Amino acid sequence: MNFQAVGVIARKEFRDVLRDRRTLIFMMLLPIVVMPLLMLGVFKFVASQKVARESKEVRIAASAFDANTLRALQKVWYDANSTVLSTLMAKLSVESLGGVSDMGTLLDRLATFEEAEEKADGTGSDPDSAADTEADAALDDDSARRAAAIAAGVEAMRNLTPEQSALIGDAKALQSLIGNTVFVDYDELSDEGELAQGVEIPDDLPGPLSQRAVTLAVQSKQIDAALYLPNDTLVVLDEAPLSIGFSELLEDDSGETYGSDEFLLLSKAPGLATVRVHLLYDSSQSQSKEAFERVSGFVEALGRFMLVERIDGASLPADYARPIMVSEANVATTSRRIQAFLGGILPYMLFAFCFFGALYPALDVTAGEKERFTLETLLLSPVTRLEIALGKFVVVFVAAMVAAMLTTTSMVLTLTHGLLPAELMASLNIEFQPLALALTGSLVIPVAALYSAALLAVGLYAKSFKEAQSYTVPLQFLFVLPTMVSFLPDVEPDSHMAWIPFVNISILMKELLKGNYLWSFYGITLASTLLLTFFAVWVASRMFCRESVLLRS
Amino acid sequence: MPPTVMVEARGLAKTYPGSRGERTEAVREVSFSCHAGEVFGLLGPNGAGKTTTLRMLSTVLQPTKGTALLEGHDVCQEPSAVRRSIGFLSGNTGLYPRLTPREVLAYFGKLYGLERGHIDHRVAELATVFGMTDFMDKRCDALSSGMKQKVNVARTVMHDPQILILDEPTVGLDVLASRTIVDFVRSYRDLGRCVIFSTHIMGEVSRLCDKLAIIHKGMVQFDGSPEALRERAGDDLEEAFVTILEQTP
Repeated sequence: MNFQAVGVIARKEFRDVLRDRRTLIFMMLLPIVVMPLLMLGVFKFVASQKVARESKEVRIAASAFDANTLRALQKVWYDANSTVLSTLMAKLSVESLGGVSDMGTLLDRLATFEEAEEKADGTGSDPDSAADTEADAALDDDSARRAAAIAAGVEAMRNLTPEQSALIGDAKALQSLIGNTVFVDYDELSDEGELAQGVEIPDDLPGPLSQRAVTLAVQSKQIDAALYLPNDTLVVLDEAPLSIGFSELLEDDSGETYGSDEFLLLSKAPGLATVRVHLLYDSSQSQSKEAFERVSGFVEALGRFMLVERIDGASLPADYARPIMVSEANVATTSRRIQAFLGGILPYMLFAFCFFGALYPALDVTAGEKERFTLETLLLSPVTRLEIALGKFVVVFVAAMVAAMLTTTSMVLTLTHGLLPAELMASLNIEFQPLALALTGSLVIPVAALYSAALLAVGLYAKSFKEAQSYTVPLQFLFVLPTMVSFLPDVEPDSHMAWIPFVNISILMKELLKGNYLWSFYGITLASTLLLTFFAVWVASRMFCRESVLLRS
Repeated sequence: MPPTVMVEARGLAKTYPGSRGERTEAVREVSFSCHAGEVFGLLGPNGAGKTTTLRMLSTVLQPTKGTALLEGHDVCQEPSAVRRSIGFLSGNTGLYPRLTPREVLAYFGKLYGLERGHIDHRVAELATVFGMTDFMDKRCDALSSGMKQKVNVARTVMHDPQILILDEPTVGLDVLASRTIVDFVRSYRDLGRCVIFSTHIMGEVSRLCDKLAIIHKGMVQFDGSPEALRERAGDDLEEAFVTILEQTP
């Protein structure tokens, strides 16, 4: 073997493929530019969808009386908690931004703080300095004061106790149903249309919800859900010291009036019981699910409050309703959890881009050369066919490795500098074990060689570039798709898995990135991968020596 | 002293396995020899086996039967030495479109093991000989067919081989480009080299060839000088060529 000739061929192939735009796109542009944009785009899209869903108005069918009951219950909750909330408002310096008279304004202020906090995380600066900058830029004192108040609010929010945070969470849950929901009366629903296939009206629904019109309205998105409170709701709730005044229910904006029989219910006293809030929704529609979540959030928040009140009213200790509980201590640091997350997506991304990095150079130096009639020109030079094969292999292998390394670097940088809060970055960098990275690298090398050899063999066999591309599709299924196993949360590394090509590497890489060094699994994986790699290299080199393959056209 | 035999084909045969188990005989038996200082024309209709014969001489294809000696090297035993002795050009030998003529020539110079200084000198020399100085640093995919063929011929003789094998080198070229190639073949012969030249153009045969062989149905049907061909089958070369083909059993 004349290695000088191999070097000459490899250098020329490098120059040639680097002048090919397709190679540059797949080897460099995809990992460096497209992948981070894709990741950021997907994350931002998911986040924005969540925000959009939460802020979107939902339409729930309910009788005017039930809707008013819900509004009244929210007000009762607010009144009962007003003292605690006003203390909290003072703590959060909410007042300094202007008066807060109701829960809506309070939550708007909190949203301002949360937004400022997110912004500070995104830029990696702390809110104080952000506020300072804003203050400097401000032309009048009001802006500066506002910025300072926001900074103080953000700081105070970070120091809230778990109970205070829970209270704010409940306030949000109650507000999200009342503040952003349109209650539609049942009478407004039309009975026209047919139920879609797969839609069934459950048997055990209470009267108003079992009407076909209600299900049809949900199906046609006229409403997102339908709600029904049993007739004795107020009676039961009144047993808890909620004290819903009649005036709350009568002073409805819509000017609705109620028959006396509805209020007679209040005179009954069935004792403490559970009120069932009935809800009809369609979980296959996201907006309908959102309606369900808002109603359940409302009910749970209210339920927590009422439980406390009931226990207090019965002079029982605060822990009465919680006979046993979990006190958790998670040993995984944030960094470790991020590494586990990375371990889930990294193997697939890494091998997919490694494959695509090798794809174009491999096909270009084989099928592409056949198409351009340059392969025969090269066969006429005094180098052996194995030297030609090796020269071409080196180029494809390097392209695969470059793509793999760029992908890893670009993905880690995207996660640490683009997606994750700034303070997690330092710990993440520190906790990447050099040994884990070295072992990961030792697995990437044989796989890159395997991809290179297999793609060279396929490219050489094909008559044209187009034909070669069609052959690579099943190769992708065979070589890249199995690495998606790392996405699955519950796959445990057992010894059988170590023998399944690509699945073994994917699982092992995930474990390595979590800091679990499974030496025997590693040994089997490396050995089986190397065997496969040698086989692929042998096949490719044999094909370079067969004139029926080389001159197939 | 009799001229040195540079190429000697001895009963070359090539059979390809077909898709349904049958075998296709591309070349049944081809023998000829050509000497230093001689242009040897290989004639034959399409599918006669010319290109397969030349590919066997260039070692790209392995003969099923028989062998050939080029400058004394056996195509089966010493393929690398054979390739070092020859320059080969055919419709199947393309140029790297993303490289410049200078890079292509330098690349092949390196593959033939030439020294760096020698490569630079030779590239400059060939650029002048073929009138390529204006486009030596343009990418090959930006060149015209004539320019490309000039670069291709220059690539073929980069290592100054003793034997030149040209398979229809003037196909698709305009008159001027064809004339450059023909002139080059003549001057190469005059240097005492052996040139094997396959063509369909009888004008080129009469202007260039010292000897010729007509291949038809995988076998040599005529081997001799153009004059001998005229004597045997008529004054007009084209008529004589057709007559030979028609006489083939």
